[in-house]
Amino acid sequence: MAAIIDIAPTNASRPRKATSDSLVSRVLIIGTAVGFMGLMFVLPLVVIFQEAFRKGWEGFVEAFDDRATMHAIWLTLKVAAITVPLNTLFGLAAAWCVSRFQFRGKRLLTSLIELPLWVSPIIAGMVYVLLFGAQGLFGPALKEHGIKIIFALPGIVLSTIFVTFTFVARILAPQMEAQGQAEEEAAMTLGANGFQMFWRVTLPKIKWGLLYGIILCNARSMGEFGAVSVVSGHIRNKTNTVPLHIEVLYNEYQFVPAFAVASMLALLALVTLILKTLTTTRRGAA
Amino acid sequence: MSIHIHHISKTFGSFQALKNVDLEVKTGELVALLGPSGSGKTTLLRIIAGLEFADAGDGSIQFHGTDVTNHSAYERKAGFVFQNYALFNHMTVAENIAFGLRVMPRATRPDREDIDKAVTELLRRIALEGYGSRYPSQLSGGQKQRVALARALAVGPQVLLLDEPFGALDAKVRKTLRKWLRQFHNETKVTTLFVTHDQDEAFELADRVVVLHEGDIQQIGSPQQLREHPKNEFVADFLDCVMI
Repeated sequence: MAAIIDIAPTNASRPRKATSDSLVSRVLIIGTAVGFMGLMFVLPLVVIFQEAFRKGWEGFVEAFDDRATMHAIWLTLKVAAITVPLNTLFGLAAAWCVSRFQFRGKRLLTSLIELPLWVSPIIAGMVYVLLFGAQGLFGPALKEHGIKIIFALPGIVLSTIFVTFTFVARILAPQMEAQGQAEEEAAMTLGANGFQMFWRVTLPKIKWGLLYGIILCNARSMGEFGAVSVVSGHIRNKTNTVPLHIEVLYNEYQFVPAFAVASMLALLALVTLILKTLTTTRRGAA
Repeated sequence: MSIHIHHISKTFGSFQALKNVDLEVKTGELVALLGPSGSGKTTLLRIIAGLEFADAGDGSIQFHGTDVTNHSAYERKAGFVFQNYALFNHMTVAENIAFGLRVMPRATRPDREDIDKAVTELLRRIALEGYGSRYPSQLSGGQKQRVALARALAVGPQVLLLDEPFGALDAKVRKTLRKWLRQFHNETKVTTLFVTHDQDEAFELADRVVVLHEGDIQQIGSPQQLREHPKNEFVADFLDCVMI
């Protein structure tokens, strides 16, 4: 009897769990995971910055002293500034729809939300060329009215919207479904109208998830290459976004400028990662 | 304020939750909707609040003679208390209670001091003075439910609807709250309709009890009437008394 009582206080080592593995397998599994991450993600990041600073700080700064580069950055910011707010609205609407209403075709809508994840971005670009290009379905009509979509800003924005649509909706829909709508109902019986209910009750509940979706949407819209590449036409000082411009620089053997601009995107990814981690913790805490 | 329910039916898909229900709740009455799960009692309560709408037909709901059948929940402003409290978790207790006052249109909204005063008074009534700055997550179940009640009462509703208000609480707290609610009702005389599957609760609290089964009203009467003269087999069986 005494022995049984003694076990707990004297056994200082960690209690052995049924699911714990032996030391060897633990080292192997963790080692593989860390090694893989290092080789595939950390090393490339280091290389980008190393190449960007090959000619020192001055070389790095010089890379941005270029009209085409500055134009590409400006264009990318513009595209993100249009895309992110729109997709935040679309995402909210879609998540609201899926989580609050039962209707025919709900499954279809749910899978359509994920479409951008399993369709190659190049197809996203192609469909808009087929629709709005010179030989496309609406091409002649658009030309008649002097509207240019393909090889211009509207086309870039459209294909970016397509590619980044999924993020806000995909994060919010399951969250809103899980939270249910009792609080919204309570707000209504207390006399809140639709807007007050959304602003004072729903939004505070989903704000971290929403922010997380916006961050991811922004990162992707600034970094999208494939879809934009098809519709942009790669016109320097006109329709080259940052990712496209990096490719141009690289193909012209301008390695330092190419990597300097690329390091901007890498930095964006790192900032996104940090913000994502922060919002995820807050989301867990809330 | 009285509630008049006339010919209300509700179907979910192929399931008929309510079948032609007629019910009248008089001003100042405390009425219990009693029945097993799936008997339609919560559905009926939600239809009265405007959180759910009855099937189209000749059914109607009147609040004190005014037809509110097609009014939305926020127009009806029936005080509603949910089984799982449905407190706003990101707001303090005081903010929760003040919510209904703060969302009023500017013209009728009381000013900040009056809202604060009203909140303090309600906190006193639910015996939670000094809890105003806490968050719902810091309260016990019984405290949460009292806050939910205060929140519903803050806007001065003429009808109070309670959906299994003590369902999620342990037996002891439930008993205390029951007593407290009865006393509270005696003081305020707000027309109250509450849903329960616990016959003791219904009998102890209510002036009249409505027994529901499979979307049909089986019997309406005072606790004594029901106990002494159950109208049919189901009522007798459910109330666990012998048919005479």
